[in-house]
This record gives sequence, C-alpha cells and structure tokens, in this order.
Amino acid sequence: MRIFDAHRVLGPVPGDHVPSADLAGLLVELDHFGIDGAAVTPSHGLYGDPAHEHTAGAGHERLVPVPVILPAVPGAGWPDDPGAVVDAAPAMVRACPVRHRFALTGPVALRWWHELAAAAIPLALDAHEAGLDRVRALATAVPQLRVLVLSPGYRCLRELAELLGAHPGVYVETGTLAAAGAVEWLAKQAGAHRLVFGTGAPVWDDAGPRFQLDHLRLPDADVELIAAGSFAALRAGEAPE
Amino acid sequence: MSRTTDVRGPVIDAHGHVGGWADFFVPEPDATWLVDVNTEIGIDVVGVSHLVAVGRDAAAGNELALAEAERYPGRIGVWLVADPHRPDAVAPLRDQLERPGVWGLKLHPDTHECAVTDPRYEPLLELAAAAGVPVLSHGQTRSPYSDPGDLAEVARRHSTLPVLVGHAGLWQDGFDRAARLAAAHPNLYLEICGSRLTTRWLERLVAVAGADRVLFGTDACFLDPRLGLGKVRHARLSDADRALVLGGNAARLLGRRLTIASQETP
Repeated sequence: MRIFDAHRVLGPVPGDHVPSADLAGLLVELDHFGIDGAAVTPSHGLYGDPAHEHTAGAGHERLVPVPVILPAVPGAGWPDDPGAVVDAAPAMVRACPVRHRFALTGPVALRWWHELAAAAIPLALDAHEAGLDRVRALATAVPQLRVLVLSPGYRCLRELAELLGAHPGVYVETGTLAAAGAVEWLAKQAGAHRLVFGTGAPVWDDAGPRFQLDHLRLPDADVELIAAGSFAALRAGEAPE
Repeated sequence: MSRTTDVRGPVIDAHGHVGGWADFFVPEPDATWLVDVNTEIGIDVVGVSHLVAVGRDAAAGNELALAEAERYPGRIGVWLVADPHRPDAVAPLRDQLERPGVWGLKLHPDTHECAVTDPRYEPLLELAAAAGVPVLSHGQTRSPYSDPGDLAEVARRHSTLPVLVGHAGLWQDGFDRAARLAAAHPNLYLEICGSRLTTRWLERLVAVAGADRVLFGTDACFLDPRLGLGKVRHARLSDADRALVLGGNAARLLGRRLTIASQETP
C-alpha cells in the first residue's frame, strides 16, 4: 500500500530541534515511518513572510512542494497575481490567513481562489490556525475550489461532518483526528475518499497516525484511499461530486 | 519501515477513560470498543477513570468504572476519581480501594478547580499513601491547579507515594522541565498521553528522566489508543527501555493490584 503524507513541514521550526530541518533529515524520517512520499511546505513560508521569502521548495522525487502563497494588494503578498500561481501549476498551495493577516474571503483573495479553482489547484488551510468558520465561508463563496483542511484536531467532529456534507470540494487531513474511533466515524459520515492521510510533522505527531493507518477498522479499499488515493484524486483535479 | 515491535513484557495503558464528555464528541466512548481495539493492537490492560466521575459525580462514576472492571477483568483496571470538594470522600474510597481491579486514585485538579497542593487534597493523598497505591493526576504546565512543579511538591510531601504526572505536563514547552522534575524526585513519574507528544519528545523524556520513570498512556477514549501506542512503538528507544515504558514501570508500581487477563493461566 502506498502511503503519502499530505502534510509535512521542511526546515527549521520554532520551539524544537527537528530532524526535518533539512532534506536529508526529512527523508530519514519518511524511511523510519515507512512513508513513501510527502507534500512538503517549506518552514520559511509558514514562519516567515512570503512577501519577502519565497525561495523554491525542496526538489526530490518523493516530495511534492506546497508553496505558501499570500493573496494581498500588490507589493504586500506573493506572488504578484494569481496568474503566476496558475502558471507554476503546483500540486497544491497553502495559505495562512491568520498568521499572515489577510482576509481569506476578502475581495483580493476571492479573485485568487476563483482563478485557482478554475485551474484545479487545491488550497490547504490549517484549521488550527484559521478555524473552521473561515473554511466554511470560503467553501461557500467558491464552491469549485478544492480545500484540504489541515490539523482540525479532535474536538470538532460534529462541525467537520457537517462541513464535509455541505461542501463536496472539502477534504480533511486525518493526523489530528485523535478522538477514539474518529477516523472510522468520519469515513462513515463522509466517505474515505474525503479523508487524506497527513501528519503535520514535525510540529504534530507522525508516529501515532502512521501506526493507526495500519490498524484502521475499515475495508482495505478505504484505507488505501486515506493512505494515498484521496490526495492523488485531490491533486489530479477530480471534480467535486 | 523501522519496526519496533519486539517488546518484552506486558503493555499497560496507565491512563484511560470510558464514557462521553460534554466538551466534544467522542465517537467510541464504550469499554467494549476499547477492549476490542486494545486486543487488536496489543495493549494488555488499561486503567480507566469514568468520565462521569471526572466531570460531575465521582461516587457514581467510580461505580461505573468498577462495573467495567468487573465486566472485563484483567483488561480494565480502575483509577478511582478523588473529589476534593467532598468532605466525606475518604470513607467510600477506602472501601472501593479494596475492590478487584482498582489501581489507585485519579486526581483532576483542573476539572475540580482545586490546586493539587490545596489542603483539601491532603486526606485523599494520605489515603493513597496509607493504602500503598499510586496517584495519577492530570498534569498541565502553567496550570494554577496541576503544574508539574506542584505535583513535585506533592511528591516531596508524600515521599512514599508514587505520583504520576498525567500527560507529562501536556504542553511541549513544559516537557523538559517536567522530565527534570521527575529526575529530581524519586517518586515522581511521567505518564505520556496527549496529542502534543511526539516520538522526539518521548525520547527526550526518557533520556532526561530515565526509562524507569516514564509510563505509557493513551488518554483513551478522549484520544484513540492506536495513536498513543504508535508513539512508543516508533520511538527510537532500546528494547529494554521500551519495555519499561510500555508496561514494566506500571507493573512495578501496581504490584499485586495488577491483573492481566492475557497472562492468566486457563
């Protein structure tokens, strides 16, 4: 079974000394956990200002770079316009509306999201940072945009099930769905094709979700979707139901 | 993949619960699911406090937990929740401590809004010390109720009482301090459940506090036991250290009170 971690961070992070501070260390971590590949956000995109720091992401056959974009008025964001994102055609982009202080559903950003939706480029949003209300507002405003919700935590299962039910373009990362039986419960509510294996490592734990993947009480086909298939469909631009 | 499954000795989850909780939805709150999953993944026994006891009614909730231990002997043990607000708490707890499957007392200073160093906890701590049972407390760095430093103070006051710092203090920025406190207090232990712990931090806890001072826990059913076990399975620990964390330390602290169904002779 192919296992793809849809949420990892490469580079130094505040508050810890992590093996994935460099590419070699990240690859060792992936090998340790038996993870075939990963979608990787550069830490400078999260902990720096993309308006000033936007070096190229890691290049490696096992990694899918996920750049952090910042939709803003000219000169205050990155890149200058959404057309540059569409031209670069990343597998997925990430945005941090709270951390980087921009309006996720303001007029500038909405124009970007419409262009990304038309180009079938998905957006990753950290629910721990942005909150599910912002995700819901965006999914309502731009229903054709596919959104991967990162790190939702284990306390908002009711809201997540409702969000997935109402918005077919929304997917959820599983790593922090930590309540007992949460992954199976949400798979029954929304379908395994809406759940994406990811960990958020090294900020969040990767060992537990990886171990859990081997012991999910779901049909093999559902586990394979969660392990890699759902993200493959997400990045391939398969249309929402 | 690096597999680390060569574990010698029992696997004992030192921190579990059963029951629902008001703050958020728990899909699998029942003991049956917990025992079934534990069987599948190799957890021999889990010590639980019932969330009714934690949240509002210690007396009723403790009876619910005892009923689950009776239903699943050797698969579920009981931490009796000690409520510091009940002036009559000691007598029934003394009786319940003699019931089969009871491991010790569980303190929830934050939920009960009473600092673990408060005099109202003293009779309960003295009861545990006299009975020779450990105390597992919720532990939360910077909490006015359960900071690991305050739990260390309890350990100082009751030098024969094993005090387990639940969650090892919960927050990553307090793990190193909690580990140093455990290293400095021979009866202070770190129980590791929690969503913020990573294998990296587990390895550091073991390195600083010592493998004989760290106990495996999952916080089931708040948290999924597969996640907690995965951290210990995948941590870069020696087999001997892993065995201590997974169950050796708990078995030593619980002594004759520990019954493990999978080790009983038919």
